[in-house]
Amino acid sequence: MVRRVLALPVGRIALGILAFIALLAAVGPLLAPGDPLGTSPHTLAGPTWSHWLGTDNLGRDVFSRLLAGSRTSVVGALEVAGVALVAGAIPGILSVYLGSVFEWFTLRLTDTLIALPFLVFAVAVTALLGNGITQAMLTVGVLVSPFFYRVSRAATLTVARSQYVEAALICGASVGAIVRRHVWGKVLPPIAVALAQTIGVGFVIVSSLTFLGIGVQPPAPTWGGLLASDLGYLAYQPWAPVAPAALIMATVWASNLLADAIRDVSGEAGRSLLNGRRVARARRAGEAVATRSGGALR
Amino acid sequence: MTSERTQRSARIATLPRPRRTGVLASLLLLATLLLAACAGSGTTASGGATPANLKWASSYFPTHWDPVVSGSGAQFRELALVYASLTRTDAKGNVAPDLAQSWTYNGAGDEVTFHLRPKLTFSDGTPVNAAAVKAAIERAKTQKDSALFGDLTSIRSVTTSGELDVVVHLSQVDHQIPLLLGERVLQIASPKAAADPAALDQKPVGAGPFVITQLIPSTKAVLTKNPNYWDAANIHIDKVELTSAPDPTTIVSGVQTGVYNFADIAPSQAKAAKAAGLDVFVQPGFNAANISLNVNKAPFDNPKVVDAVRYAVDRREFVDKVTFGYGRATNQPFPPDYVAYDPQSAKLFPYDPAKSKALLAEAGFKPGQIKLDLVIPRDDPAAEIVQSQLGAVGITVNIKIDKTWATTFFAKDLTLSLYGTTGRDSAAQTLTAHFGPNGPLNLSSPYEPAGFEAAIAKVRQTPLDAPNYAQVLREATRAGLASKALVFTYEQPNLLVKNTSISALPAIPGHLDWTGVTIGGNG
Repeated sequence: MVRRVLALPVGRIALGILAFIALLAAVGPLLAPGDPLGTSPHTLAGPTWSHWLGTDNLGRDVFSRLLAGSRTSVVGALEVAGVALVAGAIPGILSVYLGSVFEWFTLRLTDTLIALPFLVFAVAVTALLGNGITQAMLTVGVLVSPFFYRVSRAATLTVARSQYVEAALICGASVGAIVRRHVWGKVLPPIAVALAQTIGVGFVIVSSLTFLGIGVQPPAPTWGGLLASDLGYLAYQPWAPVAPAALIMATVWASNLLADAIRDVSGEAGRSLLNGRRVARARRAGEAVATRSGGALR
Repeated sequence: MTSERTQRSARIATLPRPRRTGVLASLLLLATLLLAACAGSGTTASGGATPANLKWASSYFPTHWDPVVSGSGAQFRELALVYASLTRTDAKGNVAPDLAQSWTYNGAGDEVTFHLRPKLTFSDGTPVNAAAVKAAIERAKTQKDSALFGDLTSIRSVTTSGELDVVVHLSQVDHQIPLLLGERVLQIASPKAAADPAALDQKPVGAGPFVITQLIPSTKAVLTKNPNYWDAANIHIDKVELTSAPDPTTIVSGVQTGVYNFADIAPSQAKAAKAAGLDVFVQPGFNAANISLNVNKAPFDNPKVVDAVRYAVDRREFVDKVTFGYGRATNQPFPPDYVAYDPQSAKLFPYDPAKSKALLAEAGFKPGQIKLDLVIPRDDPAAEIVQSQLGAVGITVNIKIDKTWATTFFAKDLTLSLYGTTGRDSAAQTLTAHFGPNGPLNLSSPYEPAGFEAAIAKVRQTPLDAPNYAQVLREATRAGLASKALVFTYEQPNLLVKNTSISALPAIPGHLDWTGVTIGGNG
């Protein structure tokens, strides 16, 4: 799958950006040139060699805070996607096989979760359980899980009614074996698309919640928190929101590009697309060789 | 004439259809403009050609409009649009007449009689008389959800003497009562409306300068001038649209575009407001922020740790970074130019981080050994400054935003918190709120600094016009500052922005008084 995604230019761009963001999350806090929490008398200063992105209202180095905040933002988005995947995909696949009671119950639960506005619900849960990124992201993950439930259920239903699955059943294969051997491979591509999309959605949610001051305790930096803080001082630093906003936008854009790339390369259609590109490339290469040998361009 | 009109009508009727429509539309527009002009030529209550509308975006939009429930917090300024009180304060902070035109103490100083202005009515027609004032005081003392009863402990009972004299009987000699029964603590509602406090909370009825005509809870209130207000001749505003302020960053744009013409703003927005050509000003006040410590809980049960915190605080940093230079540093519950500010205590516990570290070492604490939760209701840069300053001397502070902060703070359950007061007209009230054994702002109740009770009793016993009043008041402040429960940091400015068409407000400390204020020179 990864090789196929990398075969597409958009896939390479998306993975490149996401790899850069992942690197920021992994080593960003270590690369920070200053203490992201260290205050100084130089408040709301412009960019200098010592402070590449200037300083904030308390005199802290904005670049260091941006690097330090990347981990919270990335981990939060991954938490949302991970929780949604586990809470949505597994019941979605099992709903096809575990009988009508389980199916009815999970479908109604999904309908209920879809009806709940996740931002408002996340605010309510953090008010109840205390302000923390984990509880906020767990809540949002559960509320996003119906997306995975529906995708995985739809894909499973398609496979479950195919003739080779019926043949396997007739041959005495267990449900577990059928899911492992026949269903999982077919269901995985749409789930991968959904996962990439959800990481993007997760970023938006994490940024929105931290923008509102939910999920993190000050002075911990996050991209959303930096953006919110910068908006209060636009008269001093009108350019300040650009950096955190650009990082959020780039990450969400890359996640959506990756989802598109996975969708394009998965299944028979994806295989034929890649084959078509390969043939076209080979043809172009052949023409070039023919042109050079013929000397027509001279 | 008739034939001319007929001919003209005939000409219009014979015009081609699109052209006829155009002519009719033009006539309609002309008629509309004429009507608008006629409407505009009428005089308003303020005597101006156009109505003088105050469009006020407030960060303190009242949650409650019953003054007894609302209490004496910052939102009293908005409620004062509707309600009048017995007294008010002047530009020097001295007590001045309002509904009561004068007052007299008995010889012992434990009874004060307020003499009301005659022939006044509330906006529902109920007379403003001694019985109404008596009912207002008794309701503030006894109503189940009253936020004022703690302020009125000196009042034993209230009686009336004739139609216009209210006699307040005190449980102790207390010359602060005229200051106490001002706009902060005793805004007087119509007794007829107050018979149903829940209804009053939704539909306030008072005898103030304006009458409420529309109230959308927590969102907007529309008020019109009260022609029966005792000082209506000096109110030049016809209508007030009071709106709950949106995000602080959008207020300046709102005033710039005319959505509002008056608002309170955060100091960080002052530069943008000035750049937009708006009138930015600081209304005098007696605000003071503090770090509240609970000496009943470790580690603040150790006086050396308390002193270490006192020496660790650099007040200038709050002024520079939180108030953008509009506030002032203070180590007392008052700003430096206030009558109760004690100059002798001005240099108490100066910023000395080395001494702070030494005190912690003496107390047996290694750097980083003390770990504390600083619990606050909302994100506040001041908390991050406290965290940074205490961190610099070796006290690790974890900021915790708690939406239920008010419950735990006023139940005195917290160890470390922040509070900012907008002060009170009566300095004695401010002092007892902070340093008294049951003071709501004393996180260490029932702790009280030694000598404070005697000092505050002396303040109460001293008439407001006595020559030694200021000295006695400062002695009480000095006694209060021995408290180990509070470290005062800075004065938050009452920063306001207005359209230049609004004239200057009277510089009454802590108040927003609309007397004499004009909009567009309509006075």
